[in-house]
Amino acid sequence: MKLGLGPIPLHGTTRRHLVELAAAAVEGSFDSVWVAESRAQGVGGGLAAAAFLAQVVPIRVGALVDVGDYHPLHMAEDIAIADLTSEGKLEVLLRGGSDEHLEVLVAALSGAHLRLDGLEFHVPARLDANQPVPDRLALNPRPAQPVVPIWVLQRDGALARDLGLGLASVWSEDISVPAATGRVPGMLLCQAGIDPRDLLRAAGESAGYFLVAATTPPEVAASGKRLVGPLRMPGFPEWINAQ
Amino acid sequence: MTLRLGLGVFSMQSVPQRPDHYVKLYRDLLEDAELAEALGFDSIWLSEHHFWFDGYCPADIAAAGAILGRTKRLGVGTAVMLLPMHSVEKVAGDAVTIGRLGEGRLSLGVALGYRDAEFDGFGVQRKDRGKLMDSMLPRLASACRTADPAVPLYVGVASAVAARRAGRLGLPLFADSTMNPAELREMLRAYDDAASAAGVVPPSSHALQRDVFVTDDRERDWARLLPELRYMRRQYGGWSFPQAPGESMQDYLSRLESDIEAKLRNLIIGDRTEVAERLREFASLGFDLIVCRSQFGNLPRDLFHSAVEGLGRVRAEVTP
Repeated sequence: MKLGLGPIPLHGTTRRHLVELAAAAVEGSFDSVWVAESRAQGVGGGLAAAAFLAQVVPIRVGALVDVGDYHPLHMAEDIAIADLTSEGKLEVLLRGGSDEHLEVLVAALSGAHLRLDGLEFHVPARLDANQPVPDRLALNPRPAQPVVPIWVLQRDGALARDLGLGLASVWSEDISVPAATGRVPGMLLCQAGIDPRDLLRAAGESAGYFLVAATTPPEVAASGKRLVGPLRMPGFPEWINAQ
Repeated sequence: MTLRLGLGVFSMQSVPQRPDHYVKLYRDLLEDAELAEALGFDSIWLSEHHFWFDGYCPADIAAAGAILGRTKRLGVGTAVMLLPMHSVEKVAGDAVTIGRLGEGRLSLGVALGYRDAEFDGFGVQRKDRGKLMDSMLPRLASACRTADPAVPLYVGVASAVAARRAGRLGLPLFADSTMNPAELREMLRAYDDAASAAGVVPPSSHALQRDVFVTDDRERDWARLLPELRYMRRQYGGWSFPQAPGESMQDYLSRLESDIEAKLRNLIIGDRTEVAERLREFASLGFDLIVCRSQFGNLPRDLFHSAVEGLGRVRAEVTP
């Protein structure tokens, strides 16, 4: 099981608040700390904020980012540079966007020499006005990790499986952790205060990844203390958390 | 007017003469940012290009985020972001967030861009870049002005036409390193005229980028520097002036070579006193921020650090 703090909304978040929460996540033995942009509210910079966080904490960093508002090649470039500056600590959760957005993004991150002709995107466009230009392009530099772990939020599984992306869902009473896709475990987004027994039930036999949205340093510490043992250690005695 | 010195522009290229892994290049960048902060520089500046074989940095706001996380006081700027290739909403949304996390230390420099293959990668016609800039700049300026904290926005220029565009909006300039003093004066006149015609109050000063190398042994360092400078200038020259249809390779290389020679003459190289004097001359034209480029591609670390430390002493002299 993996346990991440967040995603911490970037809307109005100050450096001090973010750094305090991130430090609490390290103290609380979380595996990662995540931020969330919200392009609908005009709040971007999720990947740059993850790059910022990676300089502050020794654990992995993640960003929930909105797909579809800008070119997937720009997103691939942001992911590559955030991963390089963090020396391979980046994880990404994608929200929204078309299938073609995801296809272009994943193809670009692979480092392949691209030539994609879809309904939305022609990469490269090979526009008459720009000639002569190469008929293929490649993202350069590529990320530090051979494959940056990427999840897609609330999406059908077929495309994610084809592209090697993990599946993520928001917690509800009757939900199970989404099935793993390849080596990427399913992810559940939960609120602080959730009972570890509920998460273990939702995980079943899966090796799930849980993101816990705690909003203050004491809440982060309490969540870590309550969840880390039961989720990470098989046979963790319940009486310890009950004390 | 107080002169501020910035250090730049960083592009994190794994150049053929000195290939490095990109993890190392970005680790070097973060260490150089710490050094710049320790030496009292005002800011550090990042450049942007796309889909190039040596990995020229394509995402300067992401790199800026990392520097702002690593440092406490140093400003971080883009020099320059190629705005017409981006979504203006994306740039504004990124800048507002990272400006806030950086507690007001982020600046944006934006310019047109010029390499056809980059525009084409993003599905943009290069010939539309001026129109796109006209439509995007006011929106970006508004977002930067109303951000809390505000994000200073500069317009990268290498010509009087581009200066007029900035002048009409009253936005400060980020002048290209390749312009000589006469060209800079002409550009500033065009800027002031455009601002005056538009009825806007222009800023009292602007930013300027120069290639600068501080050395106590000019002859020794020039021998090491020249191949690196030539690589950099050949690359920019090749992007700016591609081979014309029907032009022979020999003619093309000869034309490129003339451009390189002209640009190399703009380099400020010398000891601390000589460099300080030249920088003061440029400042007197109306530039209160001079971004000194001492990183050309991927210089040997000892050579680069010796120049930056020398420049740090110049900074202490010109901006006490």
